[in-house]
Amino acid sequence: MSNEKLPDSSNLDQWKQAALKSAPKTAADPAKWLEGVKWVTPEGLEVKPLYTKKDIENLPSTDTLPGFPPYVRGPQATMYAVRPWTIRQYAGFSTAEASNAFYRKVLSTGGQGVSVAFDLATHRGYDSDNPRVVGDVGKAGVAIDSIEDMKILFNQIPLHKISVSMTMNGAVLPILAGYIVAAEEQPEEVGGSVAQKDLTGTIQNDILKEFMVRNTYIYPPAPSMRIVGDIFRYTAQNMPKFNSISISGYHISEAGASQALELAFTLADGIEYVKTGIASGMDVDDFAGRLSFFWATGINFYLEIAKMRAARLLWHRIMTNFGAKKEKSKMLRTHTQTSGWSLTEQDPYNNVIRTTIEALSAVFGGTQSLHTNSFDEAIALPSDTSSRIARNTQVIIQEETHICNVVDPWAGSYLMETLTQQMGDKAWSIIEEVQTMGGMVKAIESGWAKMQVESCAAETQALIDSGKKVIVGVNKYRLAKEDTVDILEVDNDAVRKSQVARLDQIRKTRDSAKTQAALDALTEAAADPSKGNLLDLTIKAVRLRATVGEISDALEKVFGRYRATNQTISGVYGAIVESQESWKAIQADIKKFEGAHGRRPRLMVAKLGQDGHDRGSKVVATALADLGFDIDVGPLFQTPEEAARLAIENDVHAIGCSSLAAGHKTLVPQLIEALKKQGSEDIIVVVGGVIPPQDYDALFAGGAKAVFGPGTRIEDAARKVLDEINKAFPAK
Amino acid sequence: MDAKLSAGEALSVEDQELVDGLLAGKRRPLAKTITLIESTLLAHQQRARKVVASILPHTGRAIRVGVSGVPGAGKSTFIEVLGIWLIERGHKLAILAVDPSSSLSGGSILGDKTRMEMLCQHEEAFIRPSPSAGSLGGVAAKTREAMLACEAAGYDVILVETVGVGQSETTVAGMVDMFVLLQLPNQGDELQAIKKGIVEIADLVAINKIDINPNHAAVCIAQWKQALHMLRPTSPNWTVPVIGISAMNRIGVDEFWGSIERYRETMTKTGELEQKRRNQALSWMWSMIEGGLKQLFRNNPVVEAELPKLSQQVSQGLITPGAASEKLLDYVRSRD
Repeated sequence: MSNEKLPDSSNLDQWKQAALKSAPKTAADPAKWLEGVKWVTPEGLEVKPLYTKKDIENLPSTDTLPGFPPYVRGPQATMYAVRPWTIRQYAGFSTAEASNAFYRKVLSTGGQGVSVAFDLATHRGYDSDNPRVVGDVGKAGVAIDSIEDMKILFNQIPLHKISVSMTMNGAVLPILAGYIVAAEEQPEEVGGSVAQKDLTGTIQNDILKEFMVRNTYIYPPAPSMRIVGDIFRYTAQNMPKFNSISISGYHISEAGASQALELAFTLADGIEYVKTGIASGMDVDDFAGRLSFFWATGINFYLEIAKMRAARLLWHRIMTNFGAKKEKSKMLRTHTQTSGWSLTEQDPYNNVIRTTIEALSAVFGGTQSLHTNSFDEAIALPSDTSSRIARNTQVIIQEETHICNVVDPWAGSYLMETLTQQMGDKAWSIIEEVQTMGGMVKAIESGWAKMQVESCAAETQALIDSGKKVIVGVNKYRLAKEDTVDILEVDNDAVRKSQVARLDQIRKTRDSAKTQAALDALTEAAADPSKGNLLDLTIKAVRLRATVGEISDALEKVFGRYRATNQTISGVYGAIVESQESWKAIQADIKKFEGAHGRRPRLMVAKLGQDGHDRGSKVVATALADLGFDIDVGPLFQTPEEAARLAIENDVHAIGCSSLAAGHKTLVPQLIEALKKQGSEDIIVVVGGVIPPQDYDALFAGGAKAVFGPGTRIEDAARKVLDEINKAFPAK
Repeated sequence: MDAKLSAGEALSVEDQELVDGLLAGKRRPLAKTITLIESTLLAHQQRARKVVASILPHTGRAIRVGVSGVPGAGKSTFIEVLGIWLIERGHKLAILAVDPSSSLSGGSILGDKTRMEMLCQHEEAFIRPSPSAGSLGGVAAKTREAMLACEAAGYDVILVETVGVGQSETTVAGMVDMFVLLQLPNQGDELQAIKKGIVEIADLVAINKIDINPNHAAVCIAQWKQALHMLRPTSPNWTVPVIGISAMNRIGVDEFWGSIERYRETMTKTGELEQKRRNQALSWMWSMIEGGLKQLFRNNPVVEAELPKLSQQVSQGLITPGAASEKLLDYVRSRD
């Protein structure tokens, strides 16, 4: 017995023979069947059912150590075995007061840092009293107009001890400056004025991905990159412990990109930022150590771990090519957040399980900090209960499971090492493609990058709608009856009023001549870089109580406001679902409609307010066009009046409003009112997006004809829209 | 146009309201009229014909400009900049954009509003993209009539935008006073344009994005001038100007519009504009006859029944195209 040689990787044929016994009886050619037993990932990697020693024999980076190049196994030698990742829950609740209360509660119950979400008006550089943002103030985050709001936001939080992460890209200058001045003016009882050199934390400051996926930009790419460069320089000189950028794959992933695409585009963005830093006159080692990253972990468990390991490998390669000398410049450190997109409105407690699995892949992937989503985030801001569960998900992994005791436990796994290499190779080939196009700025400006992501998103949606990709509770094992979940509601009108009152107070009490002089200096420096560093001048303006909107305007005078060129894809969605009978039935009904009306049903997709998340609206647009609708795509950031006018001008039958940031309860009734005022109440309005069931009645009462929450199959929505159009426009 | 031409056809109450609203410059009636014009229903087309006839006396005063250029030439950006520039100078502007049909199913995505985000916020602008798929008789007649509707509604500048690939240019050139070609400053491109036969119909060539590489652009402009020099001009009284612009940086907009006004003045003085519009009306009639005949043919029940079978036989080589067409045409002839 002891001398008998057991089958190993050199006897793979033996395994194949054994595996063939599992072939279904219907398989005509079992050998061929076995070859087909594999999973093709969204990026086209083939994952086999079995990996052996043979698979990793010739791989270059399988026998390395954590804390050493190329850092596949992690940037620190001991990783979580000595100190686990930072639990950092991202949150922002309408007002500075409410957000502050939340942060303090988090810090007292196991949270280890503050992470601020801002509202959309702030992101886009508008003060709360701007008429364009009536529906956006206090939605999806905290409204910040001035240093006074900032001071309330951080009230009683010792900024010399607690690290602060801020998700801000568009209005990055006034927000970063606001944080710096708030720390400067920290009262004695909390610890007194904090010097810039002692500030720790991260500002997202990743404007490139905004142009590609999230759309919360203000200025065009070139001046936006100048701002990034000025922040790099200022922080390198004055804030050595502060991360000047968080290069984010998160939103690229949430917009639909595969793991390899997220990885490649994010690192390619990183390359641009390094070039920007070097171009602004710094040595690469002066700032590279303060670049940090931000990944999403979705439900594709293996792929996410492989992605995070491969990311460190590639970044080491990239920075070595840039000639970085310091080791710290070459190690990728990252924050991670579990996927918001993978959460479902249906049967929402399943989201706790999804988030747990996604958190595990982030931990196995070696993240430095982590945000776990609350299970109700598919429909609303987290409640007290849901945020406690989310936080405890991490606490339990850290304190109960002993997962932390071993560094990079997946190392040496035949599968994981192979997948890490393949993921890295795939991403590298995309990075090279981007470089031949002239870099990420070019790839974004041409619209190419965005279309890659959107095409992935349309494909995913089609796979879900056709049942080829399973989402429990949505397209499989769906509940007959859903329980309602208590959610947190924001009274956006009240928030706006209190913000407006505080703005009035500031404008009355400050020395406005001095403020204006500081703003003028900023405008001058925008036109002429030799006149000063933009962050430095913004800090000076903030000290004099200039508001977020005023600072943004001062820069806009020179930079202008960016308008995206929007391109749309077609055919991707239809190609996957077109063979289905129900799809053909809708197409036939559209033909019937055309026969009766002399044209196809025409629908305008509208994004109202400052919500720039356009994955949903783009996917719906392409899918409905594939079905046979004529689709008008309205511009981003419209007011209800503008949307109504365009709809009338194009003589559409219906407007489909896409809302992902909770503005719908204000904006949809306003849109219907505007249609009425312009004599066109016959145009029907439907709403889709992140809409809690509690809001449905209000929307119907406001005149909406249909509401589509998360997880709606597009085909079902198309059927309903067509029915409503037929009802509203009967054939004569 | 002559008012007498349109007399004698009474409108329904509904359509009279439409016409009154349109003539009062209201947005919704104009939009509804264009929908009627674009409709594929015979009943709608009959109504549209009467509506168009009744607004004809109020047309003809606008300047009609066709704009074409390859994708990426910056058409939308340029039109947006030009449009805002014109509105600032007191003009009212209508933009008709012919979008390509996208998918096999026939639906289309019309994104012009997205591309002209600033312009579409202006009260004085009317932007209407039209899906081109599936309309028998072609987009030309419909766009032409839509153009008239915009004129009657008080828009004094009409821009017709085409995608810049294929035959749409010739069609559009056949309905506007002036045809503008937007080009990129790429050396070597001029040859391609000549091959396509687009250069012959251009009354003005604008080279966009000259800011990117001014030297390059200067060479390109010179090449264009030389290439145009060798071609027969569109009119003996007009040398086709080649001007450099940068829509993004608002460079050359005044020169561009100056050329258009100069063209209009010259052509009006020589009477060529009037003549051009008369000729266009004539060819419009012919294209409508062709469209009408085609539709008549297609709507013939025997043809409808026999067409698929015969088409298949032709593609399989069982019958010659000539024989098949003769057979099909006979069905139509024999009805009388």
